[in-house]
Amino acid sequence: MIWNESLNTIDEIRPPRFYAIHIHTFVQRIALLREFTMLSQLERLSREVDGRYASDAELTFMIDYVRSFNLRVQTYQKLQELESTIIQQTYNRMRSIDPQIFVGVNREDLTRKCLYDMTCGLRATATAVLLNDLDTLQERLLFWLQTIMRSLGKTHTCDVLYSSLQEVVKQHLTPPQANLVCPILELNRRILGSVT
Amino acid sequence: MSITLETEHSIKKKYPKRHNHYGFRDFFQFDPDKGTIVDWNGSQNILTTEDFIVGLVEGLQEEVGDASAATMYTIGCEWGTKDAFFFEKWFEKEFDRNVRQTNLMFLLETWWWPFTAQGWGRWEVDMGDRKQGFMFINIFDSAVARTLGDVGKPVCYLYAGLFAGFFTELVKKQLSCIEIQCYSMGETYCKFLLGGQDRIDAAAFWMNEGATARDIEKRLRAGDILR
Repeated sequence: MIWNESLNTIDEIRPPRFYAIHIHTFVQRIALLREFTMLSQLERLSREVDGRYASDAELTFMIDYVRSFNLRVQTYQKLQELESTIIQQTYNRMRSIDPQIFVGVNREDLTRKCLYDMTCGLRATATAVLLNDLDTLQERLLFWLQTIMRSLGKTHTCDVLYSSLQEVVKQHLTPPQANLVCPILELNRRILGSVT
Repeated sequence: MSITLETEHSIKKKYPKRHNHYGFRDFFQFDPDKGTIVDWNGSQNILTTEDFIVGLVEGLQEEVGDASAATMYTIGCEWGTKDAFFFEKWFEKEFDRNVRQTNLMFLLETWWWPFTAQGWGRWEVDMGDRKQGFMFINIFDSAVARTLGDVGKPVCYLYAGLFAGFFTELVKKQLSCIEIQCYSMGETYCKFLLGGQDRIDAAAFWMNEGATARDIEKRLRAGDILR
């Protein structure tokens, strides 16, 4: 199985599990996460409300986030749990769309590399769902990866990959969960899959 | 600005093979105790304001007059040459691959990313004419041009020198570079022509005669050079 062949490599980048359910625990998690990521909106809020109280409008994103928090954690954990299935089914779907999609210009087999990239993309998407943080996803991954994919001529692969991923996750997630994930996968597709 | 130092970057130490490390908080490591900002590749960075760039350009102009453009270009060339060696080292360490065994466009994107992270602007390389011995580089948000604003002439001599120095070292062939379109001329982005000295001299001559970047591109593609 392709997935098993690349399991060791992929396992190395497996992110820590998140069990946080309560807000109190979540706040502690934020403190830990700040070490390697920035929660852009919270940071912006803390900067902008220096010396005053935040307005209701400025707090809206936090209230929305708290309301959606349990759904975000459930979605994140579901993606984590189903990762290998989603990747395998996406791989199958991509091959059925374009049988040559994992073949390089020198006829080399790019399957392993594509599966690795696919897994990284899914995990980054899951993190963006959990933290509701598209700015960080773009700044840390997508803007860089866009230039790399263009330089390697892989925009078509990204287009097919992120369209297929959306179709596959819809089969495994509930509609509210899919509504959190698919817009981010679509953002990935638009940034990585477009030529200009 | 950056100076190469042998300093350890804590996130890099944890994830030495991570390639997507160009986010602000990933690429730069701020050490408030030492007062240093060290980037992913171990260079010490200094944050400067636009006043610094204005001071650099105008100060040099005051000191050496019209030679300031050539001085900036030469500084850029030396920077590019040194950076080519520096890049070769960190690229091979990060990707376990020799720069000469790597897809060229991927190599170039990888070279420019630290500059993007440092605020030198995004770029786009047009290699369509490389078989004819020249190529174009577009820079969006040049730090120098953005700072100086619309002054009606090209100002990014530092960039032109940087490209000349780096590419000369990369292809082991003497190359020169000229900015044929600049944000400081009221254009939306800066365009550089890289090639042999004869072509750069021709482009400089045509520019003096009032040619636009588009005119220069056309004439080069038509094989028109100075006799």
